[in-house]
Amino acid sequence: MAASAFASRARRWLKSAREFLYGMAGHEFERHAVELRAELDDLFVLITVGDLVGVPIMPPYYSLRLMPYMLPRLDAWKRRVLRERHLLDTPDYDLHQI
Amino acid sequence: MGNGATPVLLLVAGVLVLVAVMAGAGLSNTLIAIVVGGLVIWGGYKFYATQIDRKVIQSDANRRTPANLYMDGVDFVPTNRNVLFGYHFKGVAAAGPVVGTITAALLWGWVPALLWLALGVIFIGWASDYSAIVVSVRNEGNSMSATAHRLISPRTRQLLLLFIFFYLLLVVAAFTNITTGVVVNPTVPLGIIALAVMGVLAGQMLYRWRQDLIVTTGITFGITLLAVLLGADANGPVANFFKSFNAGLDSITGGQAVVTTLDPTRPAGQQEVRIMPHFIFWLAGVFLFSYLGSALPIWRFAQPTTYLGFWLTASAMIVGFLGAAIAGALLLVGNPAFATLAAFKLAPFTGYMAPVAAGIQPLWPMLFVTIACGAISGWHALFGSVGTARQIDNERDMLPVGGGAMFAEFALALLSLLAVTAATQQGAGAARFAAGVGGFFSVFGIPAAYGTAIASAVFVVIVICTTQLIFRVMRVTVSEGIGDAMPAFRNVHVSTLFCMLLTFLLVITGTFIYLFQLFGASNQLMAALSLLIVAVWLASTGRNPAFAAIPFLFMYVTTIAASLVTAYNLWDTILSKNPAPIAIFGSGLMIVIALLLVVAALVIGLDGLRAYQRYRQRPGEAVPSPAGT
Repeated sequence: MAASAFASRARRWLKSAREFLYGMAGHEFERHAVELRAELDDLFVLITVGDLVGVPIMPPYYSLRLMPYMLPRLDAWKRRVLRERHLLDTPDYDLHQI
Repeated sequence: MGNGATPVLLLVAGVLVLVAVMAGAGLSNTLIAIVVGGLVIWGGYKFYATQIDRKVIQSDANRRTPANLYMDGVDFVPTNRNVLFGYHFKGVAAAGPVVGTITAALLWGWVPALLWLALGVIFIGWASDYSAIVVSVRNEGNSMSATAHRLISPRTRQLLLLFIFFYLLLVVAAFTNITTGVVVNPTVPLGIIALAVMGVLAGQMLYRWRQDLIVTTGITFGITLLAVLLGADANGPVANFFKSFNAGLDSITGGQAVVTTLDPTRPAGQQEVRIMPHFIFWLAGVFLFSYLGSALPIWRFAQPTTYLGFWLTASAMIVGFLGAAIAGALLLVGNPAFATLAAFKLAPFTGYMAPVAAGIQPLWPMLFVTIACGAISGWHALFGSVGTARQIDNERDMLPVGGGAMFAEFALALLSLLAVTAATQQGAGAARFAAGVGGFFSVFGIPAAYGTAIASAVFVVIVICTTQLIFRVMRVTVSEGIGDAMPAFRNVHVSTLFCMLLTFLLVITGTFIYLFQLFGASNQLMAALSLLIVAVWLASTGRNPAFAAIPFLFMYVTTIAASLVTAYNLWDTILSKNPAPIAIFGSGLMIVIALLLVVAALVIGLDGLRAYQRYRQRPGEAVPSPAGT
């Protein structure tokens, strides 16, 4: 019983250590990849359903055809694109390491 | 602070007793210092930080965080606590705790340095990092400047930008100066050149060729480490090549200095600083490295070089810590084999006034700005409120992530203190640090010369990777700050070159110690202002603001005093001595920056005080109910 409790605790520690190491080494790559994808994604959404935020670019016919695919992510997109941003919010300030 | 006063007093007494026993009972040994550091982290976290988190902030596992409320898959993403701890730690821990600790230990001795590191992190450092995250999480993920704009006054945001620009200028000048000073050592350049080339390769492999991260790391890190080791032998072919190269450069001016400046903190007779052609060459090399980091897309250079630098640094730190602990343990059990490695050789205390050849270096306030990161850092608050707070999944993660990362940074500063204190080699800070870490490596059978070369490379890597990122942040700040008035500065290359020109002028005309202390003062002032914003927020929500307000007052008064002492030192030791015009420029510019920072801090302090009084009388929002878990 004691041995299995020890093994379980050791596994938890190992998992935490792995996650910590990933946080130090890989998490910023993941974040940056997501940011790069989001830039393209934002552009795509803007040219397809931009009229939702007051930028009528695409004829509504195509927007409506694409709507079923876009709908699930429109809320998150509007939150991100319309959020007030300050200089200190830019990703460059995220990578300072001082 | 009410009931909180007892653990505070017990913790202060505990730290004082532990350090006094170390210094007085002949126990100044690396293992004992590591144990003391461990007790500081455990005691501070368990008996103080946790109490504040539970009783004052009332972190609630059931309250939804911005990462959950506003999840957009990019900025706001709920993230695992351990991953976020690693991310935040890597984001905050770099060159500051290493350089500052070394400089302070050499000035005042290891006892004041250790005491400030321990007491600073327990009562101020973790509180600053943690509370910045708390304020952001409880304010919809807004950054500190946005919160200051809302709670204090609109001009606070503008003044913070001014602060940030001068802070960046000072830190980048100090770091460029110290990096170039180490890169001129012929054993170092090959490793740094390899780091740059392998950084480009790593970026290409990851983002363009879509290779596996582990494979990419193995190849690029392996080659970088090999290059560091190839250059390690001071009498080997690589070092000899760079020696001849440097000598060839110096022959251009016939062995004459390009510029001669003044460093009044050096011993009499050695105060003239002769800047030789090879120094200018390697300074240009550091600028080129930083230019690539600043002007290219992040993924192309800055991120992969920092990533490779992280592995080099982390490996050296782990081996160094283990070596220090083993050497100390063997010394304690009477094994003399590692006695020279584990025993402290630096004076415990050199006196209230540090023994410098010119100017004044009183322990208060100068120690508290010389060691900035490691004890407390203002930049962490900006980083935490933007990058980390928006990924907090559960309010109960705020303390282990924000507070925990600061305590971990204290451990990094402690290793720097051990290395510089236990080093057998005399001399300047960076060389002494490298010799100390090299000594710890020898516990594992690695020849001290190789260990020292690796440690030198590690030192440069930590600082140069930070430097390139500072240039990047600085050019963004310049573009945003003056880009509207002068559109040319919106151009990446123009703004980067402008920042480099200012830095170059400071490096060749300034004095490292004054530059570094002025950077420390601006960094700590930013920490004080972040604590002020937190105190105002606590008052606005009807909470007891003591845990942020008392550290704010201490740091505010201390850092304003330190800026004025530095300005006085610059006047007394350089400007009043009728120096060459070039020294007048650097010193004059630094005095102007110091005074500007003081004025900006006074204005923000006054606005903050008014806001604090306003909210104390009429709290803006109800205190939330206690945590419901």
